[in-house]
Amino acid sequence: MANLVITAASIVTPDDLNRFQFGMRFGRLDSVCQLGLAAVEALGIDFASQPRDQVGICVATDNGSLSTDVEYWRRRNEPGGASPSLFVYTLPSMVIGEIAIRHGLTGPTLCLMGGSDGLLTEAADMLRRDEATACICVYCDVVSALAAETIHLPATARACAVYLQRGVQGLHVLAANDRDIIPLCAKLCT
Amino acid sequence: MDALANELKIRIIETLKLQDITPAQIDDEAPLFGAGLGLDSIDALELVVMLEKYYGIVIKDIEEGRPAFASISSLAAFIRARKSSP
Repeated sequence: MANLVITAASIVTPDDLNRFQFGMRFGRLDSVCQLGLAAVEALGIDFASQPRDQVGICVATDNGSLSTDVEYWRRRNEPGGASPSLFVYTLPSMVIGEIAIRHGLTGPTLCLMGGSDGLLTEAADMLRRDEATACICVYCDVVSALAAETIHLPATARACAVYLQRGVQGLHVLAANDRDIIPLCAKLCT
Repeated sequence: MDALANELKIRIIETLKLQDITPAQIDDEAPLFGAGLGLDSIDALELVVMLEKYYGIVIKDIEEGRPAFASISSLAAFIRARKSSP
């Protein structure tokens, strides 16, 4: 079995969003999807040159769509009801769909709730099972000011990503103890 | 210039959170869906909510609103017609 290698890594915050051109409809996305897309964009991978059905997407998050859920709940009694496009983003796995649509990817996907630990293990298993030859791994987590105030959690907005591939040269050969994408991205991006 | 049409353009940009586009760049006669602005079915629902919120017009059947959502001009005409009917 060829080594699993990380060929690109990224970390983004909301300050990084204007570094990229996402087009007219980017504003419709919720913060989780915006950050997730930015983290993937920051990897600098030309996905058009990859076999689209061989690129998997694994996403992990601590709070998922919680911030959008809170906003939707707050706005539910507005005239006409809460925004329909907001409702779409009350699904924690939406970021996978947005990444897949933007880059035309049709490989396997996985969404993990409850933290970043285990994301890389799951992605590596996906590659070892020959379900894909590469995998975009993304951790993104948002607790908006409104959600922080409502649910008494610390506000946060951050995302990081790695591109995991088989049998190529790269930044870092994935080790058995590389389970958590956050410290790994911090190490690879400094 | 049609003031209502211009107001609609501003509201649509704001409601649909369209980026990098100004009201002046939206043609009154251009299709809102598909080509033109490239809006989709979720945007259609958003426009239904916008009509209720800002103009007090309730569309219970999306088919009723379909001709109205063809362009800015048709949407302005639809609002005027609904406002003037008893």
